[in-house]
Amino acid sequence: MSVYQINKLLYLTDNDPALRKRMKEEPEAALNEFKLTAEEREALKSGAVGKLYQMGVHTFLLNHLYRYELFGVNRDNYLSRIREGMPYDPRFEQGNMPVQRFLKG
Amino acid sequence: MAKLVLAAGVPHPPRLVYEMEHAPGKMKGEALMKQVREQVEKAAPDLIIEVDSDHFVNFFYNNLPSFCIGMAEEAQGPQETWCPMPRYTVRGHLPLAKALLRYGVNSKFDLAAAHELRLDHSLTVPLHFLNPGMELPVVPIYTNGFASPMPLATRCLALGRMLRKFIEAWEGKERIALIASGCFAMDVGGPLRGWTDTEWSETISSLLLRGQYQALARRATEERINRAGNNSGELLNWITVAGAVGATKPLFLEGDEGSGYAVWKFA
Repeated sequence: MSVYQINKLLYLTDNDPALRKRMKEEPEAALNEFKLTAEEREALKSGAVGKLYQMGVHTFLLNHLYRYELFGVNRDNYLSRIREGMPYDPRFEQGNMPVQRFLKG
Repeated sequence: MAKLVLAAGVPHPPRLVYEMEHAPGKMKGEALMKQVREQVEKAAPDLIIEVDSDHFVNFFYNNLPSFCIGMAEEAQGPQETWCPMPRYTVRGHLPLAKALLRYGVNSKFDLAAAHELRLDHSLTVPLHFLNPGMELPVVPIYTNGFASPMPLATRCLALGRMLRKFIEAWEGKERIALIASGCFAMDVGGPLRGWTDTEWSETISSLLLRGQYQALARRATEERINRAGNNSGELLNWITVAGAVGATKPLFLEGDEGSGYAVWKFA
């Protein structure tokens, strides 16, 4: 397990414009810059937010997947994806997606 | 001797900046933020100390202090490209920051120090409202309210007490405003997004209103904080400020969906 590497990848996507560009243009090659297990790589590539969450990736960093629309994750499917694999919780009913529609760079 | 003239606590939703610009009157936080702003204006501070938790912009798991003093002469932010607000340059105050670092270390707080800072929205949103034009210098105190293990709330309360003693011992003549940035209970992009732990949020409000800061610090375990959602550790910034206000109760405190707006004033 190298959850740190996933956290780092997401942190740098938000904070390093050059990596962000590579993540958008050639995401699979960009993933090679990080020491990921096959399972982690697959979870990222398939935008399996729930799986990444269960692995222990920091939730605030997971948000960057929808903020930058990486690996098919967007603000409309993020919440249902992060809940994948979780038992139903009545508090889900109160959930709505962040209103942020301000994505620029 | 410097003087603590006001303490305040506010949340830092980037959305508030955006909505106030584009659809004024829509959010409850708008009136509350203005109320805090009025009190800050009345108190006429000449320096702000802001207690905040960086959201993985300045700090990351590669180097993540529990407590850190911002020593930069100036810093820019918010750095997040997704943050819908103006970009600012914020001046620091190196002499005070250095003296605070020394005072803290001598008081057995092994504080970290950062001479370069990348400011995030959690630091700049409150300043956007409470330090218009970024006229006043700002010394940030960072607490790790964001990534487990967080410092103990009781330790944050003690940090605040030390901070008050420092302010009163500091050789400058500044009128100081102390601001806590953060919510009480919120899940930002976790699976419970949209749900608010109102029970915890109301407990926090009621303990703060009654001046029961120590009781709050004892109850604010990491386990309890985390149950309220991934951003709820920002409460540690409020508790740090509560440590600095002594026995003073808030002049006002208003809750707003897992957040609070409060002001303490000092004669």
